[in-house]
Amino acid sequence: MVRKQDFEHISEFVWELPKSYRYDMRVPARLYASERLLEDALDDASVEQLINTTTLPGLVKYAIAMPDIHQGYGFPIGGVIASRTSDGVISPGAVGYDINCGVRVLASQITLEEAHPLLDKLANSLYRRCPTGVGKGGGIDLRESEFERILLHGADWALRQNYATRQDVDRTEAQGRLRGADVSKISNRAWERGISQVGTLGAGNHFIEVDLVSEVCDPDVASVMGLAQGNIAVQIHCGSRGFGHQIATDYLRAFQDVVDRYGIRLVDRQLMCVPFHSREGQDYYGAMCAAANYAFVNRQVLAHNIRQSFEEVFRGVAHDFSLRQVYDIAHNMAKVEKHTVDGEMVEVIVHRKGATRAFGPGFEELPVEYRPHGQPVLVPGSMGTASWVLAGTPASMDETFGSTCHGAGRVMSRHEAKRTVRGDHLRETLEGKGIHVRAGSMSGLAEEAPQAYKDVDEVIRVVTGAGIARKVARLVPVAVIKG
Amino acid sequence: MATEPPWEEIPHTADWSIRVRGADRRALFENAARGMISLLERPQTDRPSIERRFSLQAHDDETLLVDWLTELVYLLEEEGLVFNEISVEQAVDHALDARISGRPGGRYGKHIKAVTYHLLEIREVTGGFETTLVFDV
Repeated sequence: MVRKQDFEHISEFVWELPKSYRYDMRVPARLYASERLLEDALDDASVEQLINTTTLPGLVKYAIAMPDIHQGYGFPIGGVIASRTSDGVISPGAVGYDINCGVRVLASQITLEEAHPLLDKLANSLYRRCPTGVGKGGGIDLRESEFERILLHGADWALRQNYATRQDVDRTEAQGRLRGADVSKISNRAWERGISQVGTLGAGNHFIEVDLVSEVCDPDVASVMGLAQGNIAVQIHCGSRGFGHQIATDYLRAFQDVVDRYGIRLVDRQLMCVPFHSREGQDYYGAMCAAANYAFVNRQVLAHNIRQSFEEVFRGVAHDFSLRQVYDIAHNMAKVEKHTVDGEMVEVIVHRKGATRAFGPGFEELPVEYRPHGQPVLVPGSMGTASWVLAGTPASMDETFGSTCHGAGRVMSRHEAKRTVRGDHLRETLEGKGIHVRAGSMSGLAEEAPQAYKDVDEVIRVVTGAGIARKVARLVPVAVIKG
Repeated sequence: MATEPPWEEIPHTADWSIRVRGADRRALFENAARGMISLLERPQTDRPSIERRFSLQAHDDETLLVDWLTELVYLLEEEGLVFNEISVEQAVDHALDARISGRPGGRYGKHIKAVTYHLLEIREVTGGFETTLVFDV
């Protein structure tokens, strides 16, 4: 078991396990945490999992864990690694099954005062228009050729089909399209699962949330993003559905048969990886990019449905019922990027699993209005608690491969949450706080109880205190649609 | 071994995990399937029952176990299959033959995204075999 005294305390919020801690570590392991969050992380296997990631070939600098780190399967959730493209690896295990799971925030001009009498109606409309639950059903009807265009063109497809505005696309990570997508690397089963699920929320921890902008910390940046204190906003949290799950499953399975050929020794088979430039590595990368494009479109179609709900409920009530995109960001993805390592620019593939990009000011991919301020970062809290909008900083570029946290992070197992929390009681408690809840499964609701998660404000205190993001605005929920 | 349950849920921070036992590999594979399905709330459906047969082969038993359970996850998601019977008829030399039956059209409220390889190892223990599985949810 890793102990607190095993870490070198680099600075107030940075803790490092040196490479010498375990014989097979290739780089050190860094954890961003307060003392309290470090102790939480030591309670489960998450730090052991972080150490395991340091054994992968070709890593540069160090493996990183964000303060919302928690135990996953293989790679910890909240982990970031960067592997040289020249001699490093790509790992489907380090991306996860829900490729491009991510968050989108939409800002409204409607005040909570205006919205309040209609929140129940809005929750019903959102629940009706945004299909939830397991498997197919409720998504948009697609021909095979259209589906292929989604996989190749991502958000550009949505723009052409009037599911998106130009601003939506500009305000999406990578403009909602990864250019490496290769549809020939997708199995029939992934295709079959994916084609019927575009525009669906799914189940598990996915949600749509209507929020109040409760606090603005940086008025200038918030104003550019369209976030005003007292107004309502909407968050969408979901990913690439069965399509991404199947691609990850296919490649994790295929790599089991070839990993020995590349002389890669794994401490955990879920960390399965192959050289980035190998045929198998490029095949996975092409399929992963297609799944990323799928997820961007999935959140875009949901955003379109949410706009229809706003029109249905607020037309004639609110002067302006439009929803403008703040940003859309991935938190399970591998991206080819250039970062400074030992004073030189090096091309790496950055794997972020339960971590987001947080590129600093000047980042050329950002729309012009965001470029002086850094990339927007969207950090949902647990159900019933606050969420945050942040912005990337120069320090995140220097220290964390331009990355920061993605959420609150769990501390309680799902088993324990089900044992100690009743879904119907939780729903009553949330409703008592004025939060309208729609959920298909009461035990699923119980598993996502706020007490199963860390304090998101503490997570934000760490990333902003460490300088790898800065606060823009805080959101609190008024309606939750649970997948 | 005789007094221990064929499967039990064990704590996992983010996902679901079960410990599974079986007197032989065949029983272990069968119990793993039943244990996985026990994590889900059983939905109602009155559609006619269907039957499916599987013949799977892998280079080791752990991969075979993931392959087998992954087939069932697919049926849960794509067909909403509510299982009546799960029978592993044979599991030898990293290959298995199995037969399942159930009614399609069930609407599951909870979701298993995938069966993981996380620290997966089938261990020989007194009286049979044991393994621990983690499911991404």
